[in-house]
Amino acid sequence: MGVRGRRRRLAAALAVAGLACTTAACGSGSTSAGGGDPNTLEVWTRSDPDSAATYDRVFAAFTKKTGIKIDYQPVVNFDQQLQSRASSKDLPDVMINDTALMGSYQSQGLLKPIDPASIAGHDQITAKSWASTVGLDGRHYGIPYSRQAMALMIRKDWLRKLGLKAPTTWQQMLDVAKAFATRDPDGDGKKDTYGIVAPGSAQNGYAAWWASSFLWQGGAKVIEPDGRGGYRPAMDSAAAVRTVTWLKDNLFCGAKGLLQPGAVSAVTGTATNFRDGDAGMYMTGPYNITTFDATPGKDKYEVVPAPAGPAGADVLAEGENVYFGARTGKARQERALAAFLVSPEGQRIAMTSVDGHQPVVRIPTNSTLDAAEVRHDPRWSVVQKAYETASEQFPNAPDFAPIKQDTADSLNAVFTYCGSDVRSSLKELNDTLAGDLKDQDLLK
Amino acid sequence: MTATVTAPPRRRGFPKQAVLPWLFLAPGLLLALVFKFLPMGKGIWLSFFKVRPFLGDKWVGLDNYTRVLSDHRFQEAVSHTLLLGLGISLGAIVVGFLLALLLEGQARSLKLVRTAVFLPVVTATAVVGELWRLLYYPTSGGLVNGALGFLGIGPVAFLDNPDTALWATMVMGIWMAAPYNMVIILAGLAGVDRSLYEAAAMDGVSLWQRLRHITLPAIRPAMSIVLTLAAIRGLRVFTEVYVLTGGGPAGSTDVWMTRAYTLGFTRNDIGGASAASVVLLCVTLLLTVTVNYLRKRGDVR
Repeated sequence: MGVRGRRRRLAAALAVAGLACTTAACGSGSTSAGGGDPNTLEVWTRSDPDSAATYDRVFAAFTKKTGIKIDYQPVVNFDQQLQSRASSKDLPDVMINDTALMGSYQSQGLLKPIDPASIAGHDQITAKSWASTVGLDGRHYGIPYSRQAMALMIRKDWLRKLGLKAPTTWQQMLDVAKAFATRDPDGDGKKDTYGIVAPGSAQNGYAAWWASSFLWQGGAKVIEPDGRGGYRPAMDSAAAVRTVTWLKDNLFCGAKGLLQPGAVSAVTGTATNFRDGDAGMYMTGPYNITTFDATPGKDKYEVVPAPAGPAGADVLAEGENVYFGARTGKARQERALAAFLVSPEGQRIAMTSVDGHQPVVRIPTNSTLDAAEVRHDPRWSVVQKAYETASEQFPNAPDFAPIKQDTADSLNAVFTYCGSDVRSSLKELNDTLAGDLKDQDLLK
Repeated sequence: MTATVTAPPRRRGFPKQAVLPWLFLAPGLLLALVFKFLPMGKGIWLSFFKVRPFLGDKWVGLDNYTRVLSDHRFQEAVSHTLLLGLGISLGAIVVGFLLALLLEGQARSLKLVRTAVFLPVVTATAVVGELWRLLYYPTSGGLVNGALGFLGIGPVAFLDNPDTALWATMVMGIWMAAPYNMVIILAGLAGVDRSLYEAAAMDGVSLWQRLRHITLPAIRPAMSIVLTLAAIRGLRVFTEVYVLTGGGPAGSTDVWMTRAYTLGFTRNDIGGASAASVVLLCVTLLLTVTVNYLRKRGDVR
């Protein structure tokens, strides 16, 4: 390599480095531009354009009332985007996202602790809801915004045609599923109907999400507090083995047609059989009510409480919290927004659908409101009652994402291999979960 | 070494001739640097850390690598990745070659058919995945099972049976990749000396002999491009699996990249995902260099 060659390289390196510096400077300049105005809050929600339209109305009402402007960003791939913002140490001021993510966010230091008393109207939120935003250190890290519980959607026209009643126990649910699969409820003379829709894929943890209601009903837990500030895995309990065995033997490996075809590889996006009108039952969240009212049609199905298992009828409760980004320095404005979001006025706007857009608050966390009354829809009282009296959330304090994913992987494998030994599979899962908890220093 | 002799070192002034070409290259280099090499470098860097974007990353040395390499799900993914990568690559070369032979020529109808055959390459993979899910639908309502039903073969649960899901994914991968190879091989076929075919016809050779001794040697450069591309792409297989099965059922179609994706974006372990990606990068690099070496050695011979 000659001198000239070396020079040439040096020149190239300098040119490239110089240009790179310029672009880097430009980049950092543009991102901080929006964050400068103290009277503008940057707010992120995990929303598609449909629900974003509802948030737009909520924030417009807030700005009109307080004069605080909102720079609203609906983000579909929320967590990927948030990670990249976190690495530039410039978080959105306010975020609205799933309750189950609180532990994960808190462990990454992304959230500001919140004193409930500092939020105007905090006493209108029930203690049960507030309790679901306590982090591992005992402080609150979110403000309960919207809640929901799973319910059973069932084709009432099919029930009527076959002379059946909506099931209230697991056994009855099996019987109805069998009838739906074999007795031609849609009356087209073909055997093309199925009993139950199950999104049983491990992708994004769906299998664990769907099966969790059954686990609660069977008396099982995924992980449980050990009473000393830590957690221990609980998927090798007799109740868990019994429940998973029941699901495997009766649904996934039971008579053909009880579940929709392809259940072990279905995610919620592809498990459209209830909407398409070829499956009769779907245990899912109430956000689907808007969708199902269009197809199969409001007059065709009803919303009923989940059938009870051996340990009760508890279903999975979920929802969204309002989170404050760490180190954003607009505490007063953030608290004003949060107070508005949980106020009767803010919740009411978010619960109503205008132009067919998806409402963003399902069950209000503001206890002065009644979901069925605000929506003029008695079906919502089923969901509200389930949330208030018979529901359980995923533990929110630990980072639940790896736990949910590992549980989903294991359940999906059990449901796929009908010859598998449930007890040993769950034992193995329990060891994996112990490892996950150990990674978080929660296994004492 | 000759540069020092021909060009005496200049001590003063900036060598303008030396800078100029680099200036012209700068925009392209800059784009590559910002969008390719910097992220790549960052990825390698992150693979040595427990990544906590907000709290600051924590150095863990080779921990991420040992964790990934000793994870039994990654180990299972290796065989799926090899099988799928190899199957799709070889399948696509064979099918692409056959398509090219069938569709070589100047007729207008052939041009139309070629365009139609090429469509899978320009269609978004997500759309293709959705399409094949419908084709593979596990009842007689699915197109493939409907056709099988006519032959009296009962509905096959292509994507829901862990024994068939990988093969079903492979077929879709071949369907997507073959037309691209076809185009490269078509270009090679256009360069084959016609007089050789005529001479062969006079000698009365069989179709197989013609392929073996004229066509294949003549399209050798095209084939080596196709092989190199296959070596680069084969092991990176991700989108096909992600849109069709998401790695399931029971992890039976999990490949290296879907595992890395789950690790990074479902379990928020960016460090581990980076380590997994770096391992794949090294293997791919090694494979590409090997294929290139073998090709060059073949060319010399």
